[in-house]
Amino acid sequence: MKISWLPTVAAVAVIGTVIRAAYFTPLEALQGGAQKIFYIHVPAAWVAFLAFGLVAIASGVYLWLRDPRLDRFAESSAEVGVIFTTVVLITGPLWAKPIWGAWWAWWDVRLVSTLFLWFIYVAYIVLRGAVESAELRARYSAVLGILGALLIPFVHLSVYLFATMHPKPIIGKPDRPSLPNEMLLTFLIALFSFTLLYVAFVRSRYQYAEERDAAATKADFDA
Amino acid sequence: MPETSSYYHIAYAIALGIYAVYGLSLHIRRKRVRAKR
Repeated sequence: MKISWLPTVAAVAVIGTVIRAAYFTPLEALQGGAQKIFYIHVPAAWVAFLAFGLVAIASGVYLWLRDPRLDRFAESSAEVGVIFTTVVLITGPLWAKPIWGAWWAWWDVRLVSTLFLWFIYVAYIVLRGAVESAELRARYSAVLGILGALLIPFVHLSVYLFATMHPKPIIGKPDRPSLPNEMLLTFLIALFSFTLLYVAFVRSRYQYAEERDAAATKADFDA
Repeated sequence: MPETSSYYHIAYAIALGIYAVYGLSLHIRRKRVRAKR
C-alpha cells in the first residue's frame, strides 16, 4: 500500500500538538482544563476563515479566467472549511458551558454569525449538488462563495462591534499577544499543524474532484 | 481552580474524531472513483 506523505505528516503534527497541549502545557489559573479547548478551537476558526477566504479568491479568479481547476479548488476548500467550522461550533459550546454556565447564547453575535457562515457554505455544497450543468454550477457557486466570505470580517470584528460574552482576540490584534510564552508556543504549533491538515485535506479533496471529473468525461465519451 | 478537564477531553476527542472520519471519507471516495475509471 502506498502511503501519502502529506496526510501522514499532518496527522503526526496534529497528534503531537494535542499531546503537547494536553500534557506539556500549563493549566490556566482561572479556567482550569477547559481553557485547553483554545488550542483546537481557535486554530479551527483560523483555518475556516482561511478556507473560505481562499474559496472567494479562487471563485473571483474563476469568474474571470473560467479555469475549471479554480472551481475544483474552491469546491475542495469550501468542503474542508465546513469541516473546520463544524469543529469550531462543537468545541465552542464545550468551552462555554463550564466558563459561562451556558452552552450557547442566541443573542451573542459572534456565535450566531459563525453559525450563519457555516449555513452559507453548507448551502454552497448543496447548491453544487443541485445544478447538473458543470459550467452553471461553477458560476453560481463562485458567486455564493464570494458573497459568503464577506461575512468573515464581520464574524472577526463582531466582538468589537457588539456586546458579547465571547472573548476578544488575544493573538489576532494590533497589540502583542497576551499569553505566557509556553502557551503561546503551543498555540503557534497548533496553528501550524491544523493549517498543514487543511492543506492535506484540500489536496486530497482536489485530487478526488479531478479523478471524479475525469471519470465523468470518460463515461460521456463512452456513451 | 475549577475542575473542568473533562470538557477539554471531550472536545479533543470530538475534534480528532471529526478530522479522522473526514480523512477516511476522502480516502473512500477516491477509492470508489478510481474503481469506476
